[in-house]
Amino acid sequence: MSDSYVIVGDGIAGASAAETLREEAPDAEITVLTDEGESLYNRILIKEYAKGKLPEAPISIHQEDWYDEHDVDLRLNTVVVDIDVENDAVHTHEGETFEYDSLLLAIGGTPQQLPVENADADGIHHFWTFQDARNIKESVEGAEKGVIVGAGLLGIDFAAICGAQDVEAKYLMRGDNWWRYALSEEGAEIMHEAMRERGVEPVFDSGVDRFEVDDDGHVEAAVDPNGERYECDFAGVAIGLNFNTELVEDTPLEIDDGIVVDEFMRTNVDNVYAAGDITSFNDLILGEQAKNGSWGSAKEQGTIAARNMVEYGSEAFEWVSSYSITHFDFPFLSFGHPTLGDDSVEATTAESEWRRVALKDGKVVGGVLIGDLSPQSAFKQLMREGRDVSDQKDRLMEPGFSVDDLAAPTEQ
Amino acid sequence: MSLRDTGRQVRLRRTGRVPSDARVRHYDELDDDEQGVVRELAGEPWTAPETGDLGDGDVVKFTEYYLVRSR
Repeated sequence: MSDSYVIVGDGIAGASAAETLREEAPDAEITVLTDEGESLYNRILIKEYAKGKLPEAPISIHQEDWYDEHDVDLRLNTVVVDIDVENDAVHTHEGETFEYDSLLLAIGGTPQQLPVENADADGIHHFWTFQDARNIKESVEGAEKGVIVGAGLLGIDFAAICGAQDVEAKYLMRGDNWWRYALSEEGAEIMHEAMRERGVEPVFDSGVDRFEVDDDGHVEAAVDPNGERYECDFAGVAIGLNFNTELVEDTPLEIDDGIVVDEFMRTNVDNVYAAGDITSFNDLILGEQAKNGSWGSAKEQGTIAARNMVEYGSEAFEWVSSYSITHFDFPFLSFGHPTLGDDSVEATTAESEWRRVALKDGKVVGGVLIGDLSPQSAFKQLMREGRDVSDQKDRLMEPGFSVDDLAAPTEQ
Repeated sequence: MSLRDTGRQVRLRRTGRVPSDARVRHYDELDDDEQGVVRELAGEPWTAPETGDLGDGDVVKFTEYYLVRSR
């Protein structure tokens, strides 16, 4: 009798796991359950669709016939409501039961809503799925004034969408610069200026106290905690994700800011694995539990999870992630864990070129590059090697930096 | 490493329009070698040895949309 694998989630983590399982276990029964109405699409590119820069077709990655060709049973619009790890079964809203030998949870997250008045009004958008992108595109194309909330990597997509769609927007930020946990004012100002050039004005020490709506329930203004009122007929909110752990709260699975897994993507239940945004994983490079929401990380986690579902211990997840912003005429890239560490070094290396590297115990754990991405491979290599650079960290800031520029490592 | 010796050279041509049937990939989807080629060639009239899975007719989203030509 062949093994049966059930995967909950058809994002890149779940889909890459399905693909790997089919390669590693040709005779296995593989079922993918997703609450979405469409199969795997390119989540990185949906912002380009919302900007009006890309048609729909290239965003689809797996047509439904891909699942037929790979003998994968895909169930769209299927909401899992219960996971019974004692009896190796998942139950759906429609009353179906899927039994498994091994289960993968790639259930991701859901955008957080602002806890303020009228936060669910028409015209206020969150951005996670392809359907969100379609709704945003339709809404923003008819808008004149926008408000954006959430000074992070997802919020800036809304700024780019407003800029591309000629919507005059105010970007309300709680602190005094964009992504203040990873960038100093000097680095952030490069991003602020790029926003301004596209008609998006950063507003600092602000935020949203409440939204105001018209008689039809459509957003017409955001009021910040200082009492300033910003008219808008479009609002984009990107303040973070709620990880979809409620599905496993009544199970023995360990939860700590996500589903806790080891470096093999296995949970504390032997035949249950998790991958993608939902995981709190043992980061072998960082040396502690970590989270990561990047596309590459999720894809790799899905692949690694699948290999270990077939043979536990066969391959560990050891990955330096990166995430780029390509909305402007210069590139931006964050890598590793730029908001962590106990030390950092930063520099403006040329006009509109800035970098910052975060260190922990003298080792590189992450960073941000603006303008010049050429050192990204060198910094990732240092992370993988766990090399102590505390006595020569200024060299990391030199233009054209490569690992060869560092003094040879000493015995550690 | 995904370097392969095909004897072909790639270049990137900035494109303003993306065909519906194009294979489009974002910079973040590329491996380290492919990313290096994109950084080197984007906006420049240069060529580089074909690498990884970047093929003729592909479109890459970096700071602009770039059409990959391989000869």
